[in-house]
Amino acid sequence: MNTPESARTSEQLLHEATTLRLSRRGIIKRGAVLGVSSAAIAGVLGATGRAAKAAPFTVLQQKKLNILQATYFVAPGQAFFTKLAEDWGGQNNVAVTTDFVAWPDLQPRIASAVEGGSGPDVIEMWDTWPFLYNENMVPVQELSEEVGQRYGGYYEWVTKTASVDGKWFSIPHGASSAAYCFRISELEKAGVADPKTNFPKTFAELFEVGKKLKANGKPIGQALGQSLGDPPNFCYSYMWAYGGMERKEDGTTIAINTPQFTEGLQAFVEAWPAAFDETGLSWDDGANNRAFLSDQISATINGSSIYLAAVDAAAGASKLDYEVLVDPSDIWHAPYPSGPAGQFNLLGSRSHAAMSYSENKDVAVEFLKHFYQEDVFIPWLESQKGYLIPMAPGYAENEMYTGNPALAPFPGVSAYSRNKGFAGPADQKASEAAARYIIVNAFAQAVQNGDVAGAIGQAEQQLKRVYG
Amino acid sequence: MSASRAEPTVTPAVAAPEARQGRPAPWDREEVLAWLFMVPGLLVLLLFMAYPFVLGITISLTDKMIGFKDYAWVGLDNYRMLLSDPTFRMTVANTFIYSFVTVPFKLLLGLGLALVLNQTFIGSRFVRAGLLLPWIVPTAISSLAWLMLFDSVLSPISWVLKDWGLISQNINFLGDRVNALASLCVANIWRGIPFFAVSILAGLQAVPQELHEASALDGASSLGRFRAVTLPTIRPIVVITTLFSIIWTFSDFQLIYVLTKGGPAGGTHVFGTYAYQTMGYSALGQAAAIALSMFPFLAVFAAVLLRYVRADD
Amino acid sequence: MVGSNTVSNRLLKLWLPLAGYSVFLLFPFAWMLIVSLKPDAALLDTRVNPFALPHPTLKNYAYLLSQTDFPRWVLNTMIVTVGATVLSLFCSILIGYALGRFRFRGGDTMGIVIFLLYLVPPTLLFIPLSQVVSRFGLYNSYWSLILIYPTFLIPFASWLLMGYFRTISKELEDAALVDGATRLQAMLKIVIPLAGPGVLSAAIFCFTLAWNEFLYALVFMGSGKMKTVPVGVVSDLIKADVYFWGSLMAAGILGSVPVAIAYAFLVDNYVSGLTAGATKG
Repeated sequence: MNTPESARTSEQLLHEATTLRLSRRGIIKRGAVLGVSSAAIAGVLGATGRAAKAAPFTVLQQKKLNILQATYFVAPGQAFFTKLAEDWGGQNNVAVTTDFVAWPDLQPRIASAVEGGSGPDVIEMWDTWPFLYNENMVPVQELSEEVGQRYGGYYEWVTKTASVDGKWFSIPHGASSAAYCFRISELEKAGVADPKTNFPKTFAELFEVGKKLKANGKPIGQALGQSLGDPPNFCYSYMWAYGGMERKEDGTTIAINTPQFTEGLQAFVEAWPAAFDETGLSWDDGANNRAFLSDQISATINGSSIYLAAVDAAAGASKLDYEVLVDPSDIWHAPYPSGPAGQFNLLGSRSHAAMSYSENKDVAVEFLKHFYQEDVFIPWLESQKGYLIPMAPGYAENEMYTGNPALAPFPGVSAYSRNKGFAGPADQKASEAAARYIIVNAFAQAVQNGDVAGAIGQAEQQLKRVYG
Repeated sequence: MSASRAEPTVTPAVAAPEARQGRPAPWDREEVLAWLFMVPGLLVLLLFMAYPFVLGITISLTDKMIGFKDYAWVGLDNYRMLLSDPTFRMTVANTFIYSFVTVPFKLLLGLGLALVLNQTFIGSRFVRAGLLLPWIVPTAISSLAWLMLFDSVLSPISWVLKDWGLISQNINFLGDRVNALASLCVANIWRGIPFFAVSILAGLQAVPQELHEASALDGASSLGRFRAVTLPTIRPIVVITTLFSIIWTFSDFQLIYVLTKGGPAGGTHVFGTYAYQTMGYSALGQAAAIALSMFPFLAVFAAVLLRYVRADD
Repeated sequence: MVGSNTVSNRLLKLWLPLAGYSVFLLFPFAWMLIVSLKPDAALLDTRVNPFALPHPTLKNYAYLLSQTDFPRWVLNTMIVTVGATVLSLFCSILIGYALGRFRFRGGDTMGIVIFLLYLVPPTLLFIPLSQVVSRFGLYNSYWSLILIYPTFLIPFASWLLMGYFRTISKELEDAALVDGATRLQAMLKIVIPLAGPGVLSAAIFCFTLAWNEFLYALVFMGSGKMKTVPVGVVSDLIKADVYFWGSLMAAGILGSVPVAIAYAFLVDNYVSGLTAGATKG
């Protein structure tokens, strides 16, 4: 980030700030436009005497704060968070401890904590969870709205997945998003000229290319196992692209059994043996990373973690325990293809909540206030190299999102995404449908026995049980 | 198990306690001592188990959601819903397959291993250590090793078989229901054999050696000696071990959770994983009903098997 | 064993089956060992035989021991496991003895009740147990697991010990009673020593089950430095969708081999004690 160019832009920012007497917010906004790193913005804020007055939050007795989060997908972010939390604790006489567990293990921790009434003071929530646990989360309406406004208002997918019908019990911080991650050279071999710009724009085209990829020995990889990340991400998006929906706006009418989606699923079933790695039926969220990086597949949907791992490996700083056989310069990303009903993606915001059973909930809320300050929050996002996409337009132009053209499709997902349970909110019922893998299993079943109508009919029955 | 119906060869001496000399102190009377002996264990169980146990049953009769204080009594609705739930029917079938395939294997192979390990030989100590390993390695980690071995793309088993020209495609270990169940059974048997072996090995130490020798002199074959002398002695141990193994297999969770999470398409769910999945959307009442619906099955096995243990006084 | 120890007999009864068992039981473990010793570069390389190990490295072990809290996790697991085992064994010997050798009113019922408590699976129980743990203020303390593990150890260990106590002939005990020993003396001096192998194997079970437990450890003692080995390993060596295979497997090896060797000595103790015990009958 410390290129001469950025030094120049931060000088310009300082100049503008002093001559135009910009406000704190003005400086930050202008800095974002100029593409100045947040560290540099913080420097400018300090130089112009507009640094946030760190509201001195004094506690006489030392208090404790335990923060529970999912293990980070981008490892340096985890160390960054631990340090910022401990630093804050040091300044405010709070003994801060941070815990990280594999994200599927968060839920039993939360369940035990809310039922027992003791546990971590701050917990990271994934999408739909605010609907499940809000009775035990401290309402943070004002704080959350303030954070949202600071960045130009939350995107709709954030409001629909992190708030409970507009009531905020946690503060969102974005989500990982998915795009097609592919091998430039393999697509070229399959006859796609300039794959960076010509990645198939429709699923039908993708399947055609996939057939050639598979014929060349490196098919498309798609997880269809019972795993909460990649499989639903693909299946929901594909369903929407072919006009299927879990339910209509009324919240109870099931809209999955349509001729269009039946046709779409039929096309997928036919493409599966021809274009995909058929063992994907048992893949979990990590399997496609391994398969891709060990040179077994040409394309797969994923967050930026595959690419970032390849970059680390190429720099001789692999964080993986296995050799990466793929060079990052051969990896590119493209948005999901579209279907006859349009282009879609599945997104749900993650968020942080202060837990109401906590004896230290005031401390917890104070920490959240601190954490979501711009000069803390943005550098934290930067430490994850843009893995978490923006929850609001205010910082979507930050360099971490725009700086690397290979990663460009990720933040763009905001523009065409829906939530679990669409057209309703990502509520408890939506989480039931997801946890039962109703949509994913419709796909898995159809490719296993070829009975598309049967698979969709069964999914429809199950959805009726859930939403009815 | 039919062999265990053989007449017990060891006839316990009948010596009534009343035949003892002197007057027993009150705390030395069987009745009193027995209850005194029960106290510490019962205390722990009552304190930490009775309440959760009762609460668990109560919750299954309500629509309780995790984290919400209010809930309503729904009677047997949660159980009734399961009857029409196709995933639950599959779960029951899977659990039975999983248990009734693995437990006999574990029992027979474990018994065999115990007989093998009961011999003295050079390096026996290290062999015993080695063969106990599957059971000692934390399941959370050993199931990850199986995950690698069963990987659909990178499985070393597939690699070697392909190299030998025995297969042309990677084996789809976990990708279809039958394969996945078979793979889970293999991993479960692997982990379970040492458990049977150790407990039976300990039981073998109580086999009266002179009876063994006597029947050997009588010309009994080793199989005959095994049936006449060994088996009756270790019968209670074998039965109890089998019983608990059934329970553990019935309520297994970790191995299946790591390897398939119940997939593909719900095809490998067992009670434990299905209940856990149900808690993922907070439906605690339903989850409790799923978990507790194991109860009647297990109670039946328990009743049947316990007869063998307690009937021989 | 007393039978004829001819070479072919020995081969048939010992070495052949032993070879079969070793292949099946050690194969996955051998895989773990290979993975733990592989350099990163070779782990998922499908161009070479995955079982080959041309350049073994201890890097994964070094990482585990220096970059994670593994030693501390081992200590935590030890404390919890030993505590829970001792407590469970104490309770279970008494219960097993009472159920196995005493006739008393309610004995059968108590046996069944203790057994039934076992039938509710941990996947459900951890929720109501959370309330108990919280009420006693045990969250994230060693005591939470030391006191909770016995709930699934005692029922099993009691029943197992009941079984072992029953395998011991009553003659000796009764003889001692006739000689004027009290019940307690007969138990401590005669029955329990004879049931030594059974007690040891019950101890091994308790230890292993506690050593391996995951869910309770995750929810009741999963914070900060208090993690046990399985929880620590899974949360620190699986970084979201990236698995640190080498170190994970190294943790599996380091977390089991010492225990296995300890067990082997214990088992050895009673198996070789066989002949001595047998002469006494």
